[in-house]
Formats: sequence, C-alpha cells, structure tokens
Amino acid sequence: MSDVDSTISEHDNPELLPGTPAERADEEEFGLSVISPDELPMLPGEVKAHSSPFQYVMIAVVLCVLTAIEVGFYYLEGDIPTALLVGCLLALAFVKFVMVASLYMHLSKDKPIFKRFFILGATGACILYTVVLTTLHIWD
Amino acid sequence: MAQATLPAPHEEQHDSHNTATGTTNTKLAMWIFLSSECLFFGAFIATYLLYRGRSVKGPTPRDVYNIPFTSVTSFILLMSSLTMVLALAAIQRGDHRRFRVWIIATGLFGATFIAGQIYEFTEFYREGLSLSTNVFGSSFFVLTGIHGAHVTVGIIWLLSLWGLSMQGKLGVQHSERVEIAGLYWHFVDVVWIVIFTVVYLIPPQK
Repeated sequence: MSDVDSTISEHDNPELLPGTPAERADEEEFGLSVISPDELPMLPGEVKAHSSPFQYVMIAVVLCVLTAIEVGFYYLEGDIPTALLVGCLLALAFVKFVMVASLYMHLSKDKPIFKRFFILGATGACILYTVVLTTLHIWD
Repeated sequence: MAQATLPAPHEEQHDSHNTATGTTNTKLAMWIFLSSECLFFGAFIATYLLYRGRSVKGPTPRDVYNIPFTSVTSFILLMSSLTMVLALAAIQRGDHRRFRVWIIATGLFGATFIAGQIYEFTEFYREGLSLSTNVFGSSFFVLTGIHGAHVTVGIIWLLSLWGLSMQGKLGVQHSERVEIAGLYWHFVDVVWIVIFTVVYLIPPQK
C-alpha cells in the first residue's frame, strides 16, 4: 500500500478530514456513505450529528410523496368540503415546511438559538398578517 | 505563543466559542436574515390573499393555472434541496468531485425551475394576464417574481461556490460557507412550499 494518502487534496486541512484514508477512498469511489456523520468535524452551532446522505434521500422521498398527495387533493375540489380540502392542504404544506427546516436546514440538530430566531420570524409573520387580513375582512 | 488545538472528529472546527452565542456570527446573521425574510415574503403572500377573487375582469387563476406543469417545477425545486444537502455532506467528507457534481446539479435544478417560471409567465401573458391587467395579475407576478429573483441569486451563489471549488479554493475547512449557502437555498424552497399551496392549490373563493 502506498504511503501517500490520495484522498487528501492540497487545499484541505488534513486534520479536519473524517474517517481513515481507506474509508475516504471507498467513499470517493463508490459513494457508499462509509463515513458516519458522527465522524465529521462539527459545523458551527451543531449540537447533534447531522443526518447521513441515505437519510437525506429518504427525507426527499417522503417530501415527494407528500407533494403528490397535495396535488391529488387539488383534484378533489368539489368532491370534499372546501374547508376540509384547505385544512388538509395547509397541514401538508406545514409538515413539508417543518421537515425541510428541521432536517435539511438542521434546526433540530443545531443550537436552539437558530430555531428561536426562525420561529420568531415565521410565527411573527403569520400572526401579523393574520391580524392584518382579519382587519381587512378577508375571511368574510 | 499558544498553539491552537486542532479538533478531534465531531468537535467544533470553528472559533464559535469566541462569540457570546457559542456559534459563528455568519451563521447567526444568516438565520436572522432568513427570519426577516419570513416577514418580507409574508407581506406579498398576504397581499395575494387580500386580492384573491377580487379582480373585476379576467383572466382569473382558474383560467391560467397549469397545475401539472407547476407541480413538476415544484418537484424540481424540492429535489434541489436534496442535492444541496448532499453537496454539504460531500464537502464535509473532503469529497470534492462529488461536491462539484451535487452543487452544479443544485444550480441546474434551480435554473430549470426559473426556466419553467419564465415559460409560465410567457403563457400567462399570451392568455392576457400581465402585471397591470387586474389585481390577481399584479399580486401574482410580484410574489412569484420576487421568489424567482431569490432563486436566481441562489443560483449565482451556488455557481460561485462551484467556481471556488474548481480553483481549489474550497477545502473541507470551508464547509460553513457551503452550509450558509445551503440555508439560503432551503429557505427559498420552503417559501415555495407555502406559495405552491396557498397560491396554486387552494381553490379560489366563489
């Protein structure tokens, strides 16, 4: 076996590279996610290890299924009560929103300060504009 | 002079302990920016809802919307979030070849979404809907146009990261830069999740 670790680029800080040279070589060649997220150096504000690439793909599959269900609901207009239809569509959008924010943006695994700021903005916007639209009698 | 201790795996690699919040100012600033963007997009979504069903002349949403087409572009934007997290995972592992593939795939998905939006706008215009036709046209084009501008900024950002990587200026120690760009990209995706439901899928008032 060669003494030179071919997986280290001259631009990388070698101390921050995770896994063994053999694991990195396997990962580079086959993309098998050989290196566990636990072995990665933490990103700023990270508390728990982020998901693995396989988990990210599974999250995307769930998001696609939810989107397909949403589009399916659109075609049920007239067959089910409008209030139920709107409620289901908003619930599905909320679930997708939370999934992307917590799992892809890592809000569930990073320091709570990020979550607090984001929730402040998102709920603040919801409350503010609900009050504005109610004042303008949009729901009548 | 004291020598800095390099981190063991899964220990913080940045000077986050140098700030009172225990994280880098860059990442915190991005989250505060995204928080303010919620209010920004909320204003345009609220305006759309306010004007919904109040146009005195057509075309109306029912006349112009092409739900199957918009569903496909929404799916493409959703997939771009997947390629974005895979790009981050790749650079954290020092896998630069795969990082470039995922980051350029993300940019291409974003560009496809924008191309779809341009096609949609052109079709709407051909059917008689412009920015000044009615209140639906004004609120729709402003809301989706501003979102499209955000996606375009994101594509430029991703391409600049790809360019840095090609020049060899983006190492594993720069993972945070990719994460920050990713946060912005995922945010435009979550905003589209809301727009797609509220603007396109929820039936208009009768």
